[in-house]
Amino acid sequence: MSPLFMTLLLVVGLGIFARTMYQRILLLTALEPADRFNRIKDRLKNLVVIAIGQKRLVGRKKERASGIMHALIFWGFCILLIRSITLYGEGYVHGFQLPLLGESSILGYLYIALKDIMEGVVLIMVIWAFYRRLVVKPPRLHNTWEAYLVLGMIGVLMISDLLYDGARFNLIAFHGNPGNLHYFNNPTFGHEFIWTPVTILAGNVISGFSTVGMERVMGLMFWIHIITQLTFLNILPLGKHFHVITSLPNVFLKSLDYPHDKIKLLDLEDESVWEEETLGVNHLYQLNWKQGLDLYTCTECGRCKEVCPTYVTDKPLNLHDFNDTLKAELYANADNLIQRAKLAKTLTGDAEADAKTKEKMAVFKPEKALVGEVIALDTLWACTTCRACEQVCPVTIEQVPRIIAMRQGQTLMQGEYPQELNTAFKGLERNGNPWGIGYDKRADWAEGLDVKLMADHPEAEYLLWVGCAGSFDDRTQKVSKALVKILKAADVDFAILGTEEKCTGDFARRAGNEMMYQMMATENIEVLNGYNVKKIIAACPHCLNTLRHDYPQLGGHYEVFHHSDFINQLIAGGKIRVKKSLAGTLTYHDPCYLGRYNEIYDAPRSVLNTLASQGLNELPRHGTESFCCGAGGGRMWMEETIGTRINVERSREIVAEKAETVAVGCPFCLTMIEDGMKELNKDEEIKTRDIAELVAEHLA
Amino acid sequence: MKILTTVKKVVDVELNIHVENGAILEKGLQYVINAWDENGVEAAVQLKESHKAETTLVSLGSGDNTDIIRKCYAMGIDNAIHIDDPALEKADSPTFARVLQKVYEAGEYDLVITGKQAQDTDAGQAGIMLAEFLNIPCVSNVIKIQVTDDANIQVSRLGDAGTEVVDVTLPAVITVSDSINEPRLPAMRGIMMAKKKKINVMDLAGLGTSFAEVGGTAPKSEIVEFLPTEKRKGGQKFEGDPAEITAKVVDLLVNEAKVL
Amino acid sequence: MTNILVVADIKQGELKGSTAELLSKARALGADTAVVAVGSQVKDLAPQLAAAGSDTQYIVDDPALEIFSAKPFSEAVVKAAGEFNADMVWFGFSETGKAAAPRVAVQLEAACATEIIDVTIDGDTVQIIRPAIANKVQQKVKVNASKLVAVVRAGAFEADPEVTGKENVITLDPPEKDTAARVKELISDASGEIDLTDADIVVSVGRGAKDQTGVDMVKALADDLAAGFGSSRAMVDAGLMAHNKQVGQTGKIVAPSLYIAVGISGAIQHLAGMNGSKVILAVNKDPEAPIFNVADFGIVGDLFDVVPLLKEEIKKIRA
Repeated sequence: MSPLFMTLLLVVGLGIFARTMYQRILLLTALEPADRFNRIKDRLKNLVVIAIGQKRLVGRKKERASGIMHALIFWGFCILLIRSITLYGEGYVHGFQLPLLGESSILGYLYIALKDIMEGVVLIMVIWAFYRRLVVKPPRLHNTWEAYLVLGMIGVLMISDLLYDGARFNLIAFHGNPGNLHYFNNPTFGHEFIWTPVTILAGNVISGFSTVGMERVMGLMFWIHIITQLTFLNILPLGKHFHVITSLPNVFLKSLDYPHDKIKLLDLEDESVWEEETLGVNHLYQLNWKQGLDLYTCTECGRCKEVCPTYVTDKPLNLHDFNDTLKAELYANADNLIQRAKLAKTLTGDAEADAKTKEKMAVFKPEKALVGEVIALDTLWACTTCRACEQVCPVTIEQVPRIIAMRQGQTLMQGEYPQELNTAFKGLERNGNPWGIGYDKRADWAEGLDVKLMADHPEAEYLLWVGCAGSFDDRTQKVSKALVKILKAADVDFAILGTEEKCTGDFARRAGNEMMYQMMATENIEVLNGYNVKKIIAACPHCLNTLRHDYPQLGGHYEVFHHSDFINQLIAGGKIRVKKSLAGTLTYHDPCYLGRYNEIYDAPRSVLNTLASQGLNELPRHGTESFCCGAGGGRMWMEETIGTRINVERSREIVAEKAETVAVGCPFCLTMIEDGMKELNKDEEIKTRDIAELVAEHLA
Repeated sequence: MKILTTVKKVVDVELNIHVENGAILEKGLQYVINAWDENGVEAAVQLKESHKAETTLVSLGSGDNTDIIRKCYAMGIDNAIHIDDPALEKADSPTFARVLQKVYEAGEYDLVITGKQAQDTDAGQAGIMLAEFLNIPCVSNVIKIQVTDDANIQVSRLGDAGTEVVDVTLPAVITVSDSINEPRLPAMRGIMMAKKKKINVMDLAGLGTSFAEVGGTAPKSEIVEFLPTEKRKGGQKFEGDPAEITAKVVDLLVNEAKVL
Repeated sequence: MTNILVVADIKQGELKGSTAELLSKARALGADTAVVAVGSQVKDLAPQLAAAGSDTQYIVDDPALEIFSAKPFSEAVVKAAGEFNADMVWFGFSETGKAAAPRVAVQLEAACATEIIDVTIDGDTVQIIRPAIANKVQQKVKVNASKLVAVVRAGAFEADPEVTGKENVITLDPPEKDTAARVKELISDASGEIDLTDADIVVSVGRGAKDQTGVDMVKALADDLAAGFGSSRAMVDAGLMAHNKQVGQTGKIVAPSLYIAVGISGAIQHLAGMNGSKVILAVNKDPEAPIFNVADFGIVGDLFDVVPLLKEEIKKIRA
């Protein structure tokens, strides 16, 4: 069309874009390192399934319609990218064609047909998206001018391309092709426009123009399309639509640890880390580059907050605001962070020389404290670490590890943590349990039950990990006793640690107290390895998760079973027989640390189905979408003074389902839901029971 | 203002204590900072912050007290002395008070703050006796401290009839109740950084005295043996006619438990 | 022969029962007994003091002694002990006793023992028994000094109704004011709310009280007992109680002599805040409630029936 004009547009458009991207990437390189280039095969798989396949957009039943909408726009865009290249080529070469996709191949024809239909589909989706934002207004959506601008631009891109093609078609078909326009014409596959029904429709719409008018429309649409596209490209990195560029790499580079990036094992013995405040995330520059990329990628779609137990109960944690605030802070401090990182590279390891460099580096410290000023304390401590947000995030942003790292900074460095946690930490330090009850009473629950201690029976096949609640809490002791009854009925060779067991350190770690966690963990691992323990049965998903995922970092490697899983195997293997005599409506509440953290969804259901005479009734929010009871992430040991209570919210859902029994598989859930039922005055009608209790009662 | 504050390491009262043949079974016991002393340390640190006081901590007893002293450093204490002498294991309250007197005299302090009692002996004597030996004023069971000027403080103590407000001329000793404050949570960082801080460890000879001089060899009283406390009568639970059982329980509270 | 001087336990002008208990015990040990009353307008108590079992009454009466001041109070006791040639000085269980006993002991070069629950005299050997380590063990202590100053734990000894003494009043000069620790004022308990952590008795209300009416009813019981008034978390959550009234893991931790849990089931979070209490009374309609596992006394019944009855019974014994 006009090589000069096209060159000008490309130089300006791509030039500005390249400069912006360079700045963005430079900022990422100023952040902490993270190794995300291993296991390429697994990464490609994630890329294909989650990003390209749009798994979390179309995979969720609740969000399927809008998910499909997004997926179609996304796929449409991918397809149109190829078309764009052809158009840029057209700027230089009349009738430019891509190899393989030219008129000599069926592929070329299939492509234009696909492109044609997708343009129509995307246009309809854009109209629907406008309708959703303007009329339906789903609460999770954050309506901004940017959203409308981008939707508008997508619409313009589609319309301009369709009209360009439509005008071209009109000129070729009805005006004698005055400019000798090129079009596909292959003896086998025929005329290009047989394959493009939407284009023909577009052509019809503008059929009224004269030949000159039609030529002008075509030219105009061509340049509108090119200019819009280049403008669009430059707008993307400025706002939430950066995800158009970053989400594919973000998914590719996502952590491959299950369920998310493991909490970093901090080296607490190194004195310099304490002096230099390098434990946890205390400052912006302590985020790693992948966490920075997460922030770039957040689309503000609001799925995270919609499923967040704290947001729906009116607590100040709003994950997309959290991300947005951090991103804004990152951009505002970009120059400082980059300067600081440059200096950091010159550190030599020589204390004297480094002292000066560090002094200079201190100048580039962000003005505002990351926690306390940028992110409020109440926001940081609200999180229950339930992972509902991570489970639904279409672009795999990892919120929880970042929150825990920030808590580490608060707990280890600043000493700024909710006062109530101190009682629990003190209890842990002194007596290995958060209540601070004398450790010597840990095995009192088992008195008279003839449960062997590991000390007396070190060759036991299984270790029964009782946990603090199972050991000390009157209510949960009943679960421990029920489990013992089942294991005995199945002749399982097991023993307990008794007073040698301590809290796994789960809540301490998730509250950022890595020191207390490591204290608990190393002592437990020493005991476990001392007995050469191989297999562990745990009745607490928090214990399970810590033993299974956290202890390997410190040299504790065990095969860990949740009791529901183990009981399921006992039933399946015929080791125990149960009666299908559990009457009334039964439902099941998935504990976060069992489901989303350890993907144990089926075993508890299978056990419950064998018991329940009327089968199992699922809650609206179940499985991967289960709603937290409010006790995870150390929240069990903190006050919940802001907003409404999470456990009551969950209990309401259970009440609404007219359940008579709600089964759980976690002592925290047991306490929280039972309390919720009491709060709602439903504790008489709705019984909260652990799976083990239900099984023990229905043993045949 | 120079403040001396005391800490004692005591057996963890959360544990069951077993007594056999007149002695406490050491097996399984663990030792922690005396809770009331923690309040004392907090009170001292608050005065440091509000009135630039210099705070010194003294810990008496034999064995390793590093862990609890580090925590106090992390709370904000400036200096620490540990009088580590095996002889002190069997010392009584007046002896402890005499040792504290020696520490006090070596340092010229304006104010001594101690917990109102130790969780292991529950005696509540050493602080008051220290003041008597030094012939300086003492207010016990204090719930509030205010600095009037360089030479005077005003304290509130919980007495039998209510809260007594007392103006005290320094130097003085005060013993604090747990309702005076909520001890701060030392940041882990503070505890780790405290590793570098020196603890001035010495025995009685190092303090310039001897067990005999502080009265340890001729104690005014000594523990002959320990006895197990009668186990709580495993809860008496009453069911039946409300009027009848309520009367019965009140009678038990008055005449058996003697708490009403 | 042993001379035992009992320090009269006077609160707001009234002689407390502990004085008679201590005197009965002293007489039972075969001792000569005297009592010393220190305070303002205490001389009128002499007949009561004699009736309680003392044969000599030392009276130190001075308006300046209106508010307790440790030093002059102790000096007065020391003076009486000197006059009486006391071998032992006994205080009743009180803040006064705890503050004065160590001073008196130093002045008299006596042994000092607090919270004793028993004392035996066998020839020259005096032994006492006292609880230690939060009442988890008892110490048997041998007194080496020639004199003993002791604070007797509440309820350790019983008053013998048969016991009586004779009136022999000796008035002593009042001690000088303490110029180094000057008592300024007394803020009486009645003026303010009783702090939960300081209270000798705590009454806590739980979910069983249902609503404001229930809470008010339990509060009235607490008021009757001059007790601290607390609650379980459920009541705070329900907005019926203030947050600073919550007893438990994440709230206040209390250890009163008597803890009365009304309508509280006793979840572990609550127990963590009160299981250090010396005596626990629980009222709950569910006989299986875990609170009964830690309670010394349990009443199974509806609190709406039981609380009014409790109030009535307490009124009777207080009368």
